[in-house]
Amino acid sequence: MSALKQLTIQGFRGAVKPFSLRFDPGHRVTVVYGENASGKSTICDALEFLGRGKVGSLDNRGLGQTTRYWPAIGHTLTDVSISLETTDGSCTATITRNGEVLVLPPEDQPRVEVFRRSEILSLIEAKPAERYAAISRFIDVSGIEASEAALRELVRDLAKQRDGAAARLSENKLTIQQFWETEGSPAPDAFTWAEAECKQSNDGSSASEKEISAIRALQTAFTRLLDLPARLRSAQQSLTVAKTAADTASAAVQDQLQNVATDAGEAVGVLEAASAYLSKHPATEVCPVCESSEKSCDLANRIRERLNAFSSLKSAQSQATASAQAVQRAEQQLQLIRENARQDVAKFEASRGDSNLPAGLPMPDSAIPNSASGLSSWLSSTSSLATEWKRAETARHDKRQFVNTLRLALETWKVNQAALDDLQQLLPRLERALKIVEEERRRFTDDILAEIAGEVSRLYDLVHPGEGLNKIRLELDPKKRASLEIGADFCGQPARPQGYFSESHLDTLGLCVFLALSALEQPDQTIVVLDDILSSVDDDHSQRIFKMLQSEAARFRHCIITTHSRTWNVGINSQYQFVELGRWSPETGLQYR
Amino acid sequence: MNSPSEKLAAIIAERLVRERLLSRQEARKIFAKLAEGKLRPEDWRALVELSASPKRP
Repeated sequence: MSALKQLTIQGFRGAVKPFSLRFDPGHRVTVVYGENASGKSTICDALEFLGRGKVGSLDNRGLGQTTRYWPAIGHTLTDVSISLETTDGSCTATITRNGEVLVLPPEDQPRVEVFRRSEILSLIEAKPAERYAAISRFIDVSGIEASEAALRELVRDLAKQRDGAAARLSENKLTIQQFWETEGSPAPDAFTWAEAECKQSNDGSSASEKEISAIRALQTAFTRLLDLPARLRSAQQSLTVAKTAADTASAAVQDQLQNVATDAGEAVGVLEAASAYLSKHPATEVCPVCESSEKSCDLANRIRERLNAFSSLKSAQSQATASAQAVQRAEQQLQLIRENARQDVAKFEASRGDSNLPAGLPMPDSAIPNSASGLSSWLSSTSSLATEWKRAETARHDKRQFVNTLRLALETWKVNQAALDDLQQLLPRLERALKIVEEERRRFTDDILAEIAGEVSRLYDLVHPGEGLNKIRLELDPKKRASLEIGADFCGQPARPQGYFSESHLDTLGLCVFLALSALEQPDQTIVVLDDILSSVDDDHSQRIFKMLQSEAARFRHCIITTHSRTWNVGINSQYQFVELGRWSPETGLQYR
Repeated sequence: MNSPSEKLAAIIAERLVRERLLSRQEARKIFAKLAEGKLRPEDWRALVELSASPKRP
């Protein structure tokens, strides 16, 4: 990495006039000494402004937006210019009109880490969450934690599913066993029996359906026979009644005929024909039968009078005709019922001969008799068979239902067993994956924290050799997210440094933590700036701190230390560049002494 | 510069492959999602199922 040559500050903070800090190419440590209010912090602020685009010394002073305090007295934001010249080139930071910091060329912007007196205890005394925030960029694995949480959720859900599947499987097993026990626990075991039952049922499903169908047809045919005797009797009785009525009507007609004349029947016919003729030819003057004109006057009226005399005969004849028709209809009805009966008998005989009927199904001993009375006796003797047939059908329905339920239970058991098998195969792999993610995450952060803690301990031991205070630990609180505790040994006992260390020990511990963190990422490209730190440290410790910084500076691009203590300029100044500032004034700004 | 999550994702992916819980091909595919926290439960399941299948290269 290129060496620093010169830092030029214009219009910024205390630099009311341009000021240039020239770096000695032979040293990587520059100590800037000056009494209070000599402008040391302006140099630190300028480097932070260039490297990080901010001025941290103004933070936490209750100033709100601090941008307006960046320009020097009598200057504006656009007057601000910080340039760093190196052996490879230069880089300049300015402020645009809208207040944005512009660094050109951006690829040459230096990495700068600034540590101030006001911040020295922040890493030590901060709350665990704030301390975590300070180092989170090194150990923040929140992305991994989110993916890990998803994996943990999956493992938890699948474990629940596995337990549920196991419970359901147990229920399925119990159901099948109950079926098995109902059937008398046939050998060898419940599941072999259930499989065989379902297979047998599958193979015989069609035959069973045919049996049920044949039994049902037999019952239907038998039912149709049941009312045949009654229907035949009824038709026969109707015919007898009709014939009796017809005989009576015929006798009545004969009586009427004897009452009127022997040929009255024919006479009525002639008179009705003449009446019909005269109604069509009312003006005729002769008799339409004999063509005589005698007594032709009022012939139509006289014919009607004679016809009226034959009305009883007519009535009797009508009754006879109706009775004859009723007899005919009764004979037809009886004939129809007999034909239907023949068909019903044929259907029953066909049904009882169906080869699909199960063997052993009880049947009538004899064929159906040809007479109604014989049929009645036959039906009486076979009535119990209908109950047997119904029982046979119901038994087959029950068997079918039983096997269907058994098959469903068996299939459900198989599905749940398969699901459980899948889960039992998958879950251990996912649990193992989760364990790996957890282990690696913990190891990763623990390793980084151990590395930081080890580095802090090493640095701390350089400053406080033999004091037994070098066992520094950084620990993530497992109960809190993003919470970092710092620990150390005090008198051989684990302790929180804040509770037992002196102020100067805490100061040096803070410095060591800062240096350890700064060295974590690209230290050879990092300019470390220590602004007036360690004022609480005594001379002996100051010398050791300086020696430590001197040795550690080799890892960094450059180390700039500002101080108002003369101790830093005693004895070993040949090992670093020493710059002394004179008194600052509004007229001159920063100046060398 | 890789983020801590990216560094750790590489370590985890390598370990999962080494323990035959992920195929190397799947590990390469999930690396970014693992680091960004975008792996959902169903993604994990599919990955492990897929890697456990006989078709694994």
